[in-house]
Amino acid sequence: MKKKWLVILLVLSMVTFLWGCGKSSSSGGKSSVLEGGASESATQLEYWTFVELHGQHFQKMLEKWNAAHPDKQIKLKVTVMPYDDMHNKLSIALQTGQGAPDIADIEVGKFPDFLKGTPQLEPLNDVIEPYKDTIVQSRLNMYSKDGNYYGAPTHVGAALAFYNTEILEQAGVDYTKIDTWDDYKKAGQQVYEKTGKYMGTADTSALWQASMMLAEQGKDFTDDAGNPVVNSPELIKGLTILQDLQKSNVLATIAGGQPDTEEAYGEFNKGNYASMMMPFWIMSRFVNYMPDLKGKIAIAPIPVIEKGQPRSYGGGGTGTVVTKTAKNVQLAKEFVAYAKLSLDANIEIWNTLGFDPVNMEVWSMKDVTHNPDNKFIQYFKNNPFDVLNEIKDGIQQIKSTPASPTINNVLGTTALNEIFEDGKDVTEALNEAQKQIEQQLQ
Amino acid sequence: MSRNLPKKIVLIAFFAVVCAIVLVPFYAIALGSFKPGKELVRNGLNLSFDLSVMSFDNFSFLFTGDHSYFTWFFNSVLLTVVQVALTLFVSSFVAYGFAAYEFKGKNFLFICVLLIMMVPFEILLLPLYKLTYDLGLMNSYSAIILPGLANAATVFFFRQYLRSIPNEIITAGRVDGASEYGIYFRLILPVMKPAFAAMGILNGMNSWNNLLWPFMVLSDENKYTLPIGLKTLLTPYGNNYDLLIVGSFFSILPIFALFVAFQKYFIDGMTAGSVKG
Amino acid sequence: MVKRFLYSQKVAPYVFVLPFILVFLLFWVYPLGSSVGMSFQKITLGQSASWVGFANYAKLMGDGIFLKAVMNSVVYMVLTIVILVPFPMLFAVLINSKWMWAREFFKSAFFLPALTSVVVAGTIFRLMFGEMDTSLINSFLGLFGIEPIKFLKGQTTGFIALLALATWRWTGVNMLYFLSGLKNIPEDYYEAASIDGASSFQKFTRITVPMLKPTTIYVITISIYAGLAMFIESMMLWNGNNSPKNIGLTIVGYLYRQGIEKSDMGYAASVGIVLLVVAMAINLAQLAFTGMFKKED
Repeated sequence: MKKKWLVILLVLSMVTFLWGCGKSSSSGGKSSVLEGGASESATQLEYWTFVELHGQHFQKMLEKWNAAHPDKQIKLKVTVMPYDDMHNKLSIALQTGQGAPDIADIEVGKFPDFLKGTPQLEPLNDVIEPYKDTIVQSRLNMYSKDGNYYGAPTHVGAALAFYNTEILEQAGVDYTKIDTWDDYKKAGQQVYEKTGKYMGTADTSALWQASMMLAEQGKDFTDDAGNPVVNSPELIKGLTILQDLQKSNVLATIAGGQPDTEEAYGEFNKGNYASMMMPFWIMSRFVNYMPDLKGKIAIAPIPVIEKGQPRSYGGGGTGTVVTKTAKNVQLAKEFVAYAKLSLDANIEIWNTLGFDPVNMEVWSMKDVTHNPDNKFIQYFKNNPFDVLNEIKDGIQQIKSTPASPTINNVLGTTALNEIFEDGKDVTEALNEAQKQIEQQLQ
Repeated sequence: MSRNLPKKIVLIAFFAVVCAIVLVPFYAIALGSFKPGKELVRNGLNLSFDLSVMSFDNFSFLFTGDHSYFTWFFNSVLLTVVQVALTLFVSSFVAYGFAAYEFKGKNFLFICVLLIMMVPFEILLLPLYKLTYDLGLMNSYSAIILPGLANAATVFFFRQYLRSIPNEIITAGRVDGASEYGIYFRLILPVMKPAFAAMGILNGMNSWNNLLWPFMVLSDENKYTLPIGLKTLLTPYGNNYDLLIVGSFFSILPIFALFVAFQKYFIDGMTAGSVKG
Repeated sequence: MVKRFLYSQKVAPYVFVLPFILVFLLFWVYPLGSSVGMSFQKITLGQSASWVGFANYAKLMGDGIFLKAVMNSVVYMVLTIVILVPFPMLFAVLINSKWMWAREFFKSAFFLPALTSVVVAGTIFRLMFGEMDTSLINSFLGLFGIEPIKFLKGQTTGFIALLALATWRWTGVNMLYFLSGLKNIPEDYYEAASIDGASSFQKFTRITVPMLKPTTIYVITISIYAGLAMFIESMMLWNGNNSPKNIGLTIVGYLYRQGIEKSDMGYAASVGIVLLVVAMAINLAQLAFTGMFKKED
């Protein structure tokens, strides 16, 4: 009989356990709640991001917010997840209306998927209004639908060229003389001959280079109506130039598929590639992940196909959103606008994250942009804002449309790989990609 | 016997080589756990024994650093133990019903068991997610445990096992005046030990390694299991690989200890079990 | 009264199978039914679903990426069976032979990989199959003067990595299945064969293989299931669901991509239903072919 009771007891305790963990949420382990000097009565908001550094920025802004708004204090619970996981979890949570945080970061490439149907996000129009005139309008448009702004932008992401001057000097190349892709090709061939190293990368897993080539020719992946046209003569021309550079040993594919990966940081850090054309925010990757290149990297405008073409475009981006299920929608919205769009926030975005802020006034604030204590300033040979201000008026915009995630996926997984890994004909690859994109969007 | 010596040597040599290949990844990760995470992403995992880049930093970070590794570890152990115990109990309970009785609808129900074995669980992910939400079980371990309670493969295995137990035990129990449940608890459960061991290990492995479904329903970092936690360390910037590699290495140890302890039962149980056809 | 009722021999069996019925109805029948329903719907974020008939299925048939995913899953399934049935069987027979030393050690060593989580195993293999010349596989190939290979960027080489991972993890498990099957073969059969002068090879093909048939069927059945439903392995090996040229995309991966990454639950449900039909058809065909049903009572 004893045994029977033991079994029953065991079963009962397990059932209790099951009930228990269904109801309560036990805590323990690492807590990631930012207090930011808030009092006990502060509202706790939950924030998801895929970049740890964004949390640090929010911490700084939280302290300022709590000090300035004693009646509306906030505690922020920050959860950092890998890129795919965070977006997927957010997507499920919003689809089912359960488990979403109050505030979240959504990357521009994923954003259109969250704007499908009736967006489960709060329009930020009223809180953006006070800052609207100070920030780059096109960055707001990326996160909008039907006149509603759903995301607060982080940066402009102006594309620049980054040259490893140590390698260039060995090869006897002067990067300031590189204006066109023809110049770049000659320089690259010289680098390859003299040092055996490649001038740059041919990217297979991201669209930075493709976007750059389109922007120079004033084109986009979509037409004015938002329909995808990836087999446009302009994109064919742009990628053909890159493929030709690859065939001339100027460019080569890189481990990781593009410069913004851990594998590629390693390659660059070792000095295997002499340049990259990337959006402004890549500077923070240089500083954090390529320490050996400190003092060797010079910044310049990117080369163009023909002189007089626009010399940059805004790449990448993260929109911070407030979800419909947020506990205190208005408070969350006000805080997001404050933490991302106020002048203070814009200055901090440069100081903490090393991004080019969306408030362009900051670009010409000498004490901020030429602060000798700033680690980003210290790292590079020349001042990034000097270059930025030079190309300021030529920064093109690549639109974000409902078709964009599909375009990114098809080009970034298939077409670019075929072109640069398998040497497939550019026109052929892009025609197939166009067909596949249309089929996917049906 | 000496005639067989060459055969013996060839056989042992063959297995030694295969075994070495099988163990290479473990050796590589053991070495890797002493190297900085960035090093691994940039150079790949390899067998270079380069003392200049090796250190105990990862281990000291594992035991003293600011992270949730041991919370995840504890969660995984807890979840695995509870899930396996409940699954074994419920599944054997059900299997006994199928093995010991003739009743209306039995064949139909048993066909359902077989059908479940052929339905890939993955296709139910989305509706199950909705259901879990409707039941208010999001972010709870119940959501992970309940769908697997009457595990079809386990029920099937137990039922096959029980068929090999002589009917006299049950008849004798009834003669002694035991109730139907008494027979199960006092006479049947004890003789199922080998089957429990075998299914315990298989279910334990599945539970310990389960990723997709728990990842979908758990959103609180403090409730993550080890595989989910380790997966969240795979950020694109390689800065968490230190913990990932050493944590991965460390996660293999407990389940291996369990296996070594119960290996005998495992083989015995499998032998006694289902696959007689 | 209630107790008498519950304890009667007529009612007891239903009490015993009740947990199964509940779990079956709640967690299988209901979700499966709603999956079928969803596959005929267009479900948009924040709006009510609308019925679209067979539109999702029609789209699937012309979807090149889906067909690629089906192709990958089926090829993976076939190749895992081709590898993971004969080799584990052979290993089991060899390890069971009377000339073998240190059996327990080898069994444990072979089983060890199965105990590592896919997250861990996938990461190890991704780093081992890295394209750098310093990664394990490439540095090994380098010993023979072979140039570094970009394993995870090509269809064939990517599958080699994927199959290496599967083989590494499952050889030991399948070997144990076959070892338990071997224990059921009476020793007299071999003795009788020896008296008749049969060679070792003849004994293997005439006695061992036929007698292992039930085990083989079992292993094939679970391999079909596991092969067709494979997803996490691919996700870990490519560190995401977007492998170059979709070389690692599987059916479940596509379901995940459509349903979760792209919020198109209706389309994803139809992917799931196709997977269900394919898995059922292949498994039933296999069982019918191997004569499993005749033995079942």
